Amino acid sequence: MGFELFTSMMKEEWRLHSTMFGSLSFALFPVLIFGIVFMSSFLLPLFRSVLPAGDLGLVTTGVFLLLGVMVGGFGLLGNEVMNRRFGQMSLLAYSARSLPLSERYIFTNFIVKDIVYYLFLWVLPFVLGFAVASPFIGVPPTYPIHLFVSLTLTFLFGLSAIFFLSTVYSRSKPALAIIFAVGLVIAGWAYLSFGTSLADLFPSLQLLRNASWVALFESAVLVAIPFVVSIALFTPEYTGTSKRFSNLLTPLTGKLSFFPTPPLAAKDLVDLWRSGGGVGQVIFSFLLPLGLIWFFLSVLRALVPDYAVLLVFAVTTGIISATMYTWITSFDTFSSYACLPVSVSTLITSKICTFTVLQVIPAAFMVVVTIITGGILYLMPAMVLWGAVSFYALSVSVYLTGLTPNILVYDVKVLLAFLVLIGVPVMVMIALAFINPYFAVAALLLGIPAFGFVRKGYTRWEGKDMASF
Amino acid sequence: MGMITVIEAQGLTKQFGDTMAVDNVTLSVPQGSLFGLLGPNGSGKTTMIKMLTGQVRPTNGHATVLGLNVLDDPIGVRKSVGIIPEQETPPSFLTAMEYLAFVGAVRKIPDIDEKATWWFSFLEFEDKRDVLCKDLSRGTRQKLMFAQAFLHKPVLALIDEPLINFDPIMQRKVKDYLADYVKTGGTIFISTHILEIAEEICTGFAILHKGKLLYSGAISELAGKKQHLSEFFFSAVQDDENA
Repeated sequence: MGFELFTSMMKEEWRLHSTMFGSLSFALFPVLIFGIVFMSSFLLPLFRSVLPAGDLGLVTTGVFLLLGVMVGGFGLLGNEVMNRRFGQMSLLAYSARSLPLSERYIFTNFIVKDIVYYLFLWVLPFVLGFAVASPFIGVPPTYPIHLFVSLTLTFLFGLSAIFFLSTVYSRSKPALAIIFAVGLVIAGWAYLSFGTSLADLFPSLQLLRNASWVALFESAVLVAIPFVVSIALFTPEYTGTSKRFSNLLTPLTGKLSFFPTPPLAAKDLVDLWRSGGGVGQVIFSFLLPLGLIWFFLSVLRALVPDYAVLLVFAVTTGIISATMYTWITSFDTFSSYACLPVSVSTLITSKICTFTVLQVIPAAFMVVVTIITGGILYLMPAMVLWGAVSFYALSVSVYLTGLTPNILVYDVKVLLAFLVLIGVPVMVMIALAFINPYFAVAALLLGIPAFGFVRKGYTRWEGKDMASF
Repeated sequence: MGMITVIEAQGLTKQFGDTMAVDNVTLSVPQGSLFGLLGPNGSGKTTMIKMLTGQVRPTNGHATVLGLNVLDDPIGVRKSVGIIPEQETPPSFLTAMEYLAFVGAVRKIPDIDEKATWWFSFLEFEDKRDVLCKDLSRGTRQKLMFAQAFLHKPVLALIDEPLINFDPIMQRKVKDYLADYVKTGGTIFISTHILEIAEEICTGFAILHKGKLLYSGAISELAGKKQHLSEFFFSAVQDDENA
């Protein structure tokens, strides 16, 4: 079979993305990363005065670890995404089953394809941007290679860890819960014992700070073990089971009778629950990224007051909370509503209502974080900032992407618009909060543009032909 | 008194980029007919149904369905009619029963449990009632889509390839149901490329080829010409290819 399956999977991934986002928009994505990093590199000398090089390396490592986690989570989120990857969509990973190839061989090709594809998409443009700028900012010419190796290993560690966790998840949910519980206890204990210097134990960060064969070997082993275990434990998921379920929809529709469209909201929640997204999404797409962000933000404690770190975290949580909109749209296709008297704006309204219900999770999370970090005095501004940013970012997503927020990920034009529309007001809010934490209440004003974006989004998406009909 | 028209299309056109999917089609369907839109794969039949049900906006022309303009009131049209899309797409994570309950709640249909039970029994899939839609076979999914389309007893149903996934016994049952439905005053608009089905059950038909309407008339007209539908169809398509 040689590399045919691998190369075909690469082509398929490209066509999938370029069909969804447009060939040019998608092809420009690595160029955008390159450009941003190239230009940002010239700011490094300025950053160094407030953030030591070691901490900058820590933050970069954190970003790439998070990237690996996100890419892995996107590809393999428990049963549902396995289903979507291998089951209902006519992807090569599924149709190749009709060929004389083992499931494990197909899965291995799938993993290698993800690694190569996303290295070219994300990691390489980042390092190239830095490499091209390096002669102008006094960085040794060999450093970009060093950076490439360490960031690649960091990214791969995030990816392999998620593949490993998702493999455990598909085998045994209690086993995953135990791994998480043990991991949390160990991480908590280590954090209390070592503080942020805990990160120094991470091999690829050691490699970034100080190139050595030992650190390279340790990093490679740390990446290889989860990958090998994932492939060894891989169990293909098949659709076509005849498991029976009791009617959840009707009682839930009754309980949500105060919503504008109770059956639509009930369907979203049932979808989320049954797709395995309820717990999986909260862990992989919410708690894990925010845990990492909190860890890396805590570096800032040496530079700014604790309340400022908390409020920046509230803003970040708001932006991550807004991604819950993708949770309730990614399991849905509009074709399910094709034969019903449901307009696009009605559906968007319903999704916004469901999104509001889901905000209980980040709200509780923010309260807990605020209390644990001793910031109870700043609970009110933190909650206002989180809530306002979350709903504002949701409204921007609705306006820019309608019912397909996944487009945000790689459509350069949409992504840039999103970054500008979110970045500018968020920076203003952070600046206000730094001056006086209670100025953060001004974030409530974001409700006005948010309302406008949703209204404009209705008009904009109602006028378009419904996708996937 | 003239015949009541339930579907009226005037110069309906849909262009996707460089592709002309439907080209200036003018068509009318009288009430109480079982009308078949026939054409080879890719002739524009599905696009035509999507335009008539307000799922896709025409590039040019206009259409009324049950007196409602599909451009101005697509939701009103979908409220009144039943639709079975070409690809059976009930939501993956609802059970068959939940899907019918969902449709019932959206359409505000009373006594939904009772009505759903009748359909499960009639289409012989009671045993799949509590199975997730993603785990149903294509045939069972089509049964479910069939049930949802007729749950509210619409006066007009638009069906894209109605029998394609059914076994011969179920095909017979569904054909009989459609014939009875028309006898009691309903109208059915089906699109299909299976000519035997059309010849057996339709009262009127139209032929679409490469987006253009080649012919529209009653099946009974063929008897006068002593021609089978398949012969008529092939000759019309061939003439168009040669033109």
